[in-house]
Amino acid sequence: MTAATKPRFIRADGPDKVTGSGRYTADLTLTGMLSAKFLYAGIAHARITKLDVTAARAIPGVMAVMTADDVLDVRFGPFVQDRRLFARDVVRFEGEIVAAVAATTAAIAQQAVDAIVVEYDALPLVTDLESALGGDAPLVHADWASYGAADALVRDRNDASFSSISKGDVEAGLAGADHVITSRYVADGSHAAPIEPRAVVAQWEGNKVTIWTSTQVPFDARAGVCETLGMPANRVRIIVPHLGGGFGGKCGFHYEAHVAALAKVAKRPVRLVFSRREEFVAPDRRREGMVIDITTGVRNDGSITARKAWIAIDNGAYTADSGFFPQLAAMHVSGPYRIPNLDVAAHLVYTNHQPSGSVRAPTAPQACWAVESHTDEIAAALGMDPVEFRRKNAVDTGVEGPSGQTYGEIGVQQCIEEATKLVGYGRSLPEDEAIGVAIGWWPSFAVPSGAYIKIDGDGSGQIITGAQECGTGSVMTLRQLAAEELGMDPENFELIYQDTSAAPYDMGATGSQTLFNNGRAVVAAAGQIAEQLKALAAEHLEASPADILLADGQAHVAGTPGSSVSIVELAGIASGGELLIGHGSGAPPSAPPLVGSSCVGDVGMASFVAPQFSCHAVRIRLDRDTGVVRVLEVGAAHDSGTIINETGALGQIQGGVMMGIGQALTEGTVYGDDSRQRNAALLEYKLQTCADSPAIHTHFVQIATPDAGPRGAKGLAEAPNVATAAAISNALAKLLGKPVRQLPMTAERVWQTMSNGQP
Amino acid sequence: MNFTIAKTLDEALAAVAAGARPVAGGSDLVVGARQGKAQLPDAVVAIDRIQPLGNIDTTSDGLRIGALVTHARLEAEPVIVERYTALADASALVGSPSTRNVGTLGGNVMNASPAMDTGAPLLVLGADVELQSTTGSRRIAIADLWTAPGRTSAEPGELCVAIHLPTRPPRSGSAYVRLEYRRAMEIAVVGASASVVLDADGAVAAMAIALTAVAPTIVAVRGVETFLGRQIDASLFADVAALASEQAVPISDVRASEGYRKHCIGVMARRAVDAAVRRAGGESIGVPVNRSLGIGAAS
Amino acid sequence: MTISISLNVNGTDYPVAVDAGRNLVSVLRTEIGLTGTKEGCDDCECGACMVLIDGRPVNSCSYLAAQAVDRAITTIEGVMVGDTLHPLQQALLDEGGVQCGFCTPGMIMSATALLSRNASPTEEEVRIGLSGNLCRCTGYVKILAAVQRAAEEAG
Repeated sequence: MTAATKPRFIRADGPDKVTGSGRYTADLTLTGMLSAKFLYAGIAHARITKLDVTAARAIPGVMAVMTADDVLDVRFGPFVQDRRLFARDVVRFEGEIVAAVAATTAAIAQQAVDAIVVEYDALPLVTDLESALGGDAPLVHADWASYGAADALVRDRNDASFSSISKGDVEAGLAGADHVITSRYVADGSHAAPIEPRAVVAQWEGNKVTIWTSTQVPFDARAGVCETLGMPANRVRIIVPHLGGGFGGKCGFHYEAHVAALAKVAKRPVRLVFSRREEFVAPDRRREGMVIDITTGVRNDGSITARKAWIAIDNGAYTADSGFFPQLAAMHVSGPYRIPNLDVAAHLVYTNHQPSGSVRAPTAPQACWAVESHTDEIAAALGMDPVEFRRKNAVDTGVEGPSGQTYGEIGVQQCIEEATKLVGYGRSLPEDEAIGVAIGWWPSFAVPSGAYIKIDGDGSGQIITGAQECGTGSVMTLRQLAAEELGMDPENFELIYQDTSAAPYDMGATGSQTLFNNGRAVVAAAGQIAEQLKALAAEHLEASPADILLADGQAHVAGTPGSSVSIVELAGIASGGELLIGHGSGAPPSAPPLVGSSCVGDVGMASFVAPQFSCHAVRIRLDRDTGVVRVLEVGAAHDSGTIINETGALGQIQGGVMMGIGQALTEGTVYGDDSRQRNAALLEYKLQTCADSPAIHTHFVQIATPDAGPRGAKGLAEAPNVATAAAISNALAKLLGKPVRQLPMTAERVWQTMSNGQP
Repeated sequence: MNFTIAKTLDEALAAVAAGARPVAGGSDLVVGARQGKAQLPDAVVAIDRIQPLGNIDTTSDGLRIGALVTHARLEAEPVIVERYTALADASALVGSPSTRNVGTLGGNVMNASPAMDTGAPLLVLGADVELQSTTGSRRIAIADLWTAPGRTSAEPGELCVAIHLPTRPPRSGSAYVRLEYRRAMEIAVVGASASVVLDADGAVAAMAIALTAVAPTIVAVRGVETFLGRQIDASLFADVAALASEQAVPISDVRASEGYRKHCIGVMARRAVDAAVRRAGGESIGVPVNRSLGIGAAS
Repeated sequence: MTISISLNVNGTDYPVAVDAGRNLVSVLRTEIGLTGTKEGCDDCECGACMVLIDGRPVNSCSYLAAQAVDRAITTIEGVMVGDTLHPLQQALLDEGGVQCGFCTPGMIMSATALLSRNASPTEEEVRIGLSGNLCRCTGYVKILAAVQRAAEEAG
């Protein structure tokens, strides 16, 4: 992008952030505040044979030491209630919390942690996804059958959630194919790695607790505190100061209850701040490793006859929000293609790894990488250009997708056209360069959400919203929607957000849903005030409310130039009578119907509301001597509906692409034989730097999708993360003559693929 | 921890003699302590204000680089870039702008990490280390300094005050290259440095190659004298790569396997010799070679 | 050992009594109360803690506070010129180079140091100059644009 001359969207929180005056959770200090530290298992699977905190409690300055014995015995989890705040009897991954300490200084807290005596008997490690599903595999949870779980889940031993999508007759479809292509792809886990390590501060007043926390989902965090500490929602207040990035890593309920429990016992405010290593090892929010087997039948004319796939997803030791991953992964391995006969089965497999959870477009980058690499293998078998193959087989408006959903107007074909154009697909390149192309999709998540708006007597407004800002700018964009509804300027509004006791519910900065759902709520709330203003103006101007237009800070009578009154004046009138207060929620759109398919373990993911589509075309260079790959240029075309805030939207594409490049090439968790992470530091877990970032060209395909959010917007934040790794894989396969079958496609793996065909 | 700031070399030497750990930028000390790799020492003496240790001086037999000269200065200093180019290449690749700004050559050398970037260049350029104590000073060949990872042959009480580099002959060139998975913020997975002198006919008159991160210390490749008199051609490069690979004894770790390191060290050695030869022949290849020649990911 | 030292931060002298082993970032954030400098990794790998010492960028997580005595420390809070945003700060807002904002202070400090040495850097020089500052939100595109815009407007 060149520097634009037109006025740009400037974030409301921007000045705080560029001056250093913005406060993040770790920046908060309260009088008498203590420091918290955790004792982690440090061993991936073991029975606790001894746990003695006597010495730790005796250290001067230690104000609280807690273990499972010091809190309610509650098992929690959104899909499977398989986890406790503190380990009891058995630890199942290295980052499991065994005990927590609050002390007057961080150093004393650490000293106390080190003084806790804990002894273990090692239990057999479960690490391999395929063998974990075997009938004789050791169990990660011996009592799995007794756990409470969501009704929709199909569970069996180490299989925490099984889903399948079936349509037509796969065996007949494969039998009728001219070519049958079978591939296996294996993806390592990876990390969200926000630059801000998480932090939590808790303070009690009477029987109420206020918790400042770096969460993406304050209402989820509140629910977790209520559930584990046995409190009603109205006595738990979650406030999120500025949030230093999340990428899904800070979704879910994390440590708010531990810190609140410590603060209650210590009778002092307590602050927890994670180190980078803790950020890598402890949270139940890393991107899941996967094993993906795909078999596809095609005819010589390039049409797909059938697809069969088997997916194993690394759940880790506990089930965070991953219960829906199997069905979502099944959708991504199916892909946005016309597939008449389909049979995809996906398992969520317990292991003694760190638990998996929603990281930016969960399951999608890995599944898209597998299916899109497989797609290029199919095209190669057919001798067909891979882009041409996609044009022929990708879904389109009015076409039935793999799960039996027939789409309204969608822009996947336009995305293919535009992305390939952006990088000049088909042009001649040096022998060490190639362009790879991949398509991806992602749903918009339709969920309840609420907001209030008030306009005070001076005409200035406040939007009080449950929505959470994690950096995307979605919350910042809400001002624009309210202003448009009311004919006011976005600068007239301040945002009150990230406080569960001030605002109505919102799901949080997750699922790319803020604008889609909270935008609807804000428009509805603003609509109520608009009605009030129109009634006031009608009375003031002696006109009919139906003829009043709100624009430029004025209420005008349509067709009567000069007949107007300022909104400031109307606000003043209202302040002496019925106040200008709006509230909104609106009804989320319902899921489109599926025809002809059947789903086992159905958690509602086989039907995509307002689906988003993308195509990424990536030009890379390969150092053939070492296997090092460098991304030179990316073309990203996205159908995410109407783009309301272009600056923010471009930021999502550029950041998502860059994260995708990291996942493709340098970011992957490496486990030792002891099932502990070997690269839990930013030197060894390599995010892309400013020196690595390529030119990123973006095109938005903006069409009117049914069931879209306000102004025709769909979600956006996760979609850019879906197709990049896949496109890089396809470029690389062109240069190598075969795909690299492991993700990340590290230099060493590329070299191995070149030198001996493995992996 | 007892902390003092030395204003003069004598103060520093006295503190070191009393057992204090000298620090210049201090990054390794602080990072090591925070990661639990090493406790903070009982006593630390900051030597970063001793101005004479920050000088680069031309001497009768070459160049004397004060121990406090930073990587940021080395990567830009004309005499280093023009005549001791491998050292500039390496300095420009260390960490990030801030670590290059804080990190010093003396600190890097005395940390004795087998992955240190400046080590292989110093070895091929024939560096000596000047160690000083309250009782006197001595110069030792840098090859004799490193004894094991993190270990040197310096005696207790000795402070590294300077690195000496011999005068470069005509028709000489040097280079340092390393494998990089990303273009910045890297640590050497493997790296290689070469110094080459060409004779009037363009054949090899002298050559030295040293390897980074493939042994417990930075190591020189043995047997390069067999290349003397060889013309610069593909067979020479193949032989260089084979010799380097053969002598490397790398470990497998989270950064790379032993096999991949053995392969890549050959590639790096070949590329280092290639760049050194081209520089010896008068070609201007910008610093660092990695970025100017697009080696690995670094284009 | 607790030592009494004076640190000059953004032109103001702050007397502090700290343990000699304390790193600069923690003293800035707690004793001195300037929380704009962030901590993201504690081992020089993310750049969120970047400050200037005598005008040069330093990771304050890995620098002893005691070593900063008699040196001029500049933090993000010292970048504004009076009540006016520094051109880099303004350019980051105008270009949309701020998202979550956690890397932003460190990024600004590195960019300030770069532009003070090199008023009209090439794109590659900006990339290398900011390469010690990780950003997970932006893909760096708008940050690069902002630094170049600030350089152009100053030039």
